[in-house]
Amino acid sequence: MQAILDAISLGGTYALAALGLGLVFGVMRLVNFAHAELITISAYVMVVTNDLPLLISFLLASLVAALLAILTELAIYRRLRGTGPAIMLIASFGLSVGLQKSYELIFGALPRSAAVAPWMTGSFEFAGLNFTISSLVTVAITIAILLAMGYLVERTTLGLQLRAAATDFKTARLLGVRSNRLIGSAFAISGILASAVGFILVVENPQVDPMFGLNITILALVGIVIGGISSLRGAALGGFIVGFILSILNTFLGNARVYAYSYLFLAVVIILLVRPGGILSKRNEMERV
Amino acid sequence: MAILEVKDLQAGYGKVDVLFGVSFSLEPGQSLGIVGPNGAGKSTLMKAIAGEVALKSGSVHLQGSPISGKKPEDVVRLGLSLVPEGRQIFGGLTVTENLMLGLTGRRDKASSKQALDQVRGLFPVLNTHAEYQAGMLSGGQQQQLAIARALVADPKVLLLDEPSLGLAPTVIMDVFSKLKEIIALGTSVVIVEQRAHLVTAFAEKTLIIRAGKVQATLTPEDAKDEVALRRAYFGAGA
Ligand SMILES: Nc1ncnc2c1ncn2[C@@H]1O[C@H](COP(=O)(O)OP(=O)(O)OP(=O)(O)O)[C@@H](O)[C@H]1O
Ligand SMILES: [Mg+2]
Repeated sequence: MQAILDAISLGGTYALAALGLGLVFGVMRLVNFAHAELITISAYVMVVTNDLPLLISFLLASLVAALLAILTELAIYRRLRGTGPAIMLIASFGLSVGLQKSYELIFGALPRSAAVAPWMTGSFEFAGLNFTISSLVTVAITIAILLAMGYLVERTTLGLQLRAAATDFKTARLLGVRSNRLIGSAFAISGILASAVGFILVVENPQVDPMFGLNITILALVGIVIGGISSLRGAALGGFIVGFILSILNTFLGNARVYAYSYLFLAVVIILLVRPGGILSKRNEMERV
Repeated sequence: MAILEVKDLQAGYGKVDVLFGVSFSLEPGQSLGIVGPNGAGKSTLMKAIAGEVALKSGSVHLQGSPISGKKPEDVVRLGLSLVPEGRQIFGGLTVTENLMLGLTGRRDKASSKQALDQVRGLFPVLNTHAEYQAGMLSGGQQQQLAIARALVADPKVLLLDEPSLGLAPTVIMDVFSKLKEIIALGTSVVIVEQRAHLVTAFAEKTLIIRAGKVQATLTPEDAKDEVALRRAYFGAGA
């Protein structure tokens, strides 16, 4: 039972990471590798401000991640807009590495650690079964954020503009959608999503190094490919599937867990063979990409 | 004073020049037709006026103020809307959501509701099919949606790039009669068309564009003269 809850909570965390990536991809056709560093900076902030109340510490992490996201947009991506996806992709790689080096200078190459929300590592008994508090909190946070994102995207003007821009930015602009403001908002939200991921990860693993957010970001990208890059729902679902499978594999493979990634990628290949555009893809959406 | 004044407009894509000095002006409440063969630069002209394609030289004035160099999202707020070629409605969004997006470019948000009511009166299908996915509408209905979506921004000048594209003749007549109503309500209109007869008979004057230049200006009288029309359209010797 705990294994299932763990898998759901890891799946949820990956879904949040995939959602942040998918949001920026939607409006800019940019695979933002530096999303990893947004997760990393949030974790650093939480470690450094661990003496403050948890909520304050988390809000600071969100603020810093959102500001950093906006800064990367203003300083780098905005200048490269319209140069084509290949250049943007390379820039995001470069930015990712550059930020890692900056973190190394600021925080040191060795891991920084602090017990963030130590109460969450405890466990409790329910109906004769043992659960860790952290996995339950993670699931709760994930559900809350997914609902909030669903509301934002489906029910608000900003969400309508995000959906329109993701399918046809040119026409959206002709109708008056302010491109800079909308892209800035997408980056800010992706930063906030990254801070939630950073928080969840740092509770489980309080050793924060400059590459802290890399693993989950790459795997979330795998999830996006599975779910279909053309919709946020697909991205979140794909992220969830990857996290879920990985967690289950880690639990049940025992000593063979070194092969977890091999099995995961095998599953990815099979899914893509059956549905090349991703699980939620429709034919007309595939043509666009 | 002209509501829209285009002077010696030159534009293109990268190093490729497409328009070589186009000039015209549009008076308030007037309609202007633009015809010409494929690749003449008609759509490029529309995009350049709307701010989607950068000008290489020349100018565009809306009600006396320059709009050249402004972004499309700002141009629409100043009162010029483009219904792009191929309609470009958001097929995955509902009819109502498409109209809501159209409101983005509206300056006076307080009267948004009236604007929606007005276009729903003009195009009743937008009311009856409000919650339909726009992609489910027929071609003619989609064109109505595209026009309505531009109208809710309350433009002083409405540009339409080939509104008849892919529509049956009777549907085209419907669209043009709606355009008559829109002009009567005080909006000035520029219509790009492949169907030279149709637009020449409709508009107060019609420009023939070929190879990025205005080759001739026609009046509704010329629409009756088949030979003159052909000659102007295809060039001397046709
Ligand atoms: N995005 C673009 N990039 C580069 N060249 C373009 C682009 N769009 C159009 N062109 C070129 O500009 C020229 C004019 O195209 P434009 O679309 O303005 O013509 P048009 O008069 O609207 O034609 P049609 O009647 O077929 O719609 C063409 O030679 C075309 O190849
Ligand atoms: Mg055209």
